[in-house]
Amino acid sequence: MNDSVLENKLSPRAQKAWLISEVIGIVIGFIVLAVLFWLDFHFAWPVWIGWILIALTAYTVLDAVWSLIKPKYLYESWRYQVDEEYIQLSYGILKKEWVTVPIAKVQSISTRQGPILRIYQLREIKVETMGSSHAIPALDEQVAIQLKDTLAEYAKLKEVDE
Amino acid sequence: MMRYHPLTILYRIYQFVKNNLIIALLLFVIKRDSDFWLFEYGRYAFLVIVVWRLIYIVWSWFYETYEWEERTFYLKEGIFTKNTSSIPFSKIQNVTRQTTIFHKVFRLTSITFETAMDGVDDAITFEVVSKKHADFLLKLVEVQTTEPDETNLKENQEGTELDGSESDVENPDPKIKQDNESKVVHFTPTKRDLWKASFLSFSYLAFIPLLGGLFDEIQSFLPEEKELDGLLDQFLASKWLILLLVVVGVAIAVAIGVTRTMIRYGKYEISSNNTHIFINRGVLNESYFSIEKQKVQGLEITQSFLKRIVGLAEVKLVSSVNPNSEQSAVDVNSLYPFLPMNQAHELIQQLLPGYHVESGMKRLPRKSLWIKLLRPSWFWLLATGALFYFKPRVFGLESAWWIISVILFVWIYINRILDYVHTQYLVTNDQLQWRRGGLTSRLFITKRQKVIEMSISQSFVQKKFHVASLSTVNRSSPIHVEGIEDVPVEFATSFHNWYLERHDEVQYHHIP
Repeated sequence: MNDSVLENKLSPRAQKAWLISEVIGIVIGFIVLAVLFWLDFHFAWPVWIGWILIALTAYTVLDAVWSLIKPKYLYESWRYQVDEEYIQLSYGILKKEWVTVPIAKVQSISTRQGPILRIYQLREIKVETMGSSHAIPALDEQVAIQLKDTLAEYAKLKEVDE
Repeated sequence: MMRYHPLTILYRIYQFVKNNLIIALLLFVIKRDSDFWLFEYGRYAFLVIVVWRLIYIVWSWFYETYEWEERTFYLKEGIFTKNTSSIPFSKIQNVTRQTTIFHKVFRLTSITFETAMDGVDDAITFEVVSKKHADFLLKLVEVQTTEPDETNLKENQEGTELDGSESDVENPDPKIKQDNESKVVHFTPTKRDLWKASFLSFSYLAFIPLLGGLFDEIQSFLPEEKELDGLLDQFLASKWLILLLVVVGVAIAVAIGVTRTMIRYGKYEISSNNTHIFINRGVLNESYFSIEKQKVQGLEITQSFLKRIVGLAEVKLVSSVNPNSEQSAVDVNSLYPFLPMNQAHELIQQLLPGYHVESGMKRLPRKSLWIKLLRPSWFWLLATGALFYFKPRVFGLESAWWIISVILFVWIYINRILDYVHTQYLVTNDQLQWRRGGLTSRLFITKRQKVIEMSISQSFVQKKFHVASLSTVNRSSPIHVEGIEDVPVEFATSFHNWYLERHDEVQYHHIP
């Protein structure tokens, strides 16, 4: 499936932005765990709860390690391409996805920017069709705004049978 | 400005009573003496709701009106919050007409125009309407939808020219289209079809637990035997009784099955004209369904294990018809659930000349079988885990848990192997066609222009095996997702390229 490499990549700053949000997630996860351990100790919960907590901790640690390496590979895997007829996306580390949506079927286009994306001056483009929604995460602000306008222009074209 | 038929009020009350009968029975008959707070206060609450509903049903009728102008319905409703909606005729996807027993009593009918707009209230329903007026509305909508269609038709003709094999006879000329009288009947079930259907529908299998219950009842009338005799002895002692019960039970079951089938599928007629497909059905509850051919998004031919043995199949239309519309005991999308296979293909060709059921589909390579078998079954693992933990006793068997686990395992793997055997795919000109499924197999056919989205996915393991999974999305409510798993990467790539050539059929217009 390598013969269909799409044109564009995300902003390289996406890696940092994702990493930060992952780290925040990890910290929150560990705080929750710590609180649970404290509650377990303080109220002397049944033994099996202790075991579940240990299992959860092990899982959280593994997940945290994965979260820290994920942004790099996810960024490497992300490609998108937009032309007059189609929006094409491809992404995924262990499981690859290639999505093709005819632009004529797009019903709404929007950009979004959360606090972390704002720090890095990035934007996400969200494209909604009749039954699904797709996002191109973390584009340079300029690129995102331009792409949104391009998409909006292309999307004016509708198919006759609707 | 038109009001709905006054009997709509009665019909709504009838519906309301029907839907709440069980609650009423529970509150006032079964749990009559209960002073549990839920029932105690529930009774008052229920009465209040009933009174309010009845007032509301009558009251709201006066505020509901409809009118039409320039090929658009304008609906108004609401006592407190006024609600106005307009629905252009061109958005109407299909028409359903149902005549339930209620309607029969008053010699009336109901009619629903369904649209594919994104609103919540996207159907126009005339719950009670005189037959004459229903005919009028139908004509009104039908005649006028034909005009803006001409562009659609051109598109269709262009699309079909690619096939070359499209017969000119089937290609409708826009000029004669108004001629709705030229309906051709394609299918009515014969006596033989109906018998087959009733034996297949197997609805009477539901009788077996009842039979068991009956046996328990009768046991108490049997001469008391010594308690120590055990279950087996008792069983043998009443052998003649069991036999009799089985015979009687099966007879009743068959009778019920046959009557049910006759009532559901007895009067059945599939017909079409140049632009629309019509389905008339039902003996007691009559229903009429029509859909514009252009609005059919795809086709599905389903064969359950039993149907495959007898060579029958069910043909379904993929469209934006709401599949769980009220009261309809029959799936509205289904053409007919018991069509002989060759007749099914013929019917498709006649109804939708754009579609062909092509032969010569490709099968999956052997490696796809290995990957299907290698893939862990999470369902089985979870189920076995749960069984191991709870170790339920079935029929007094202590080892039941691992027997069930083994049966489940075999079942899952038989399904997977069958899925491998059944999976076939083919892409021709502007049409895609694929089949998959284990015990129940499904053949799905759609046109490139009707696929509104596609995706390919490839897991880590699939990559090693050089295969991928495809999925397509068609318009429906909700959207219709189809997929085929573990096809060779070459096919996935060529499918993707094929999809990128969509502009061959699709015609665009610009929204200012």
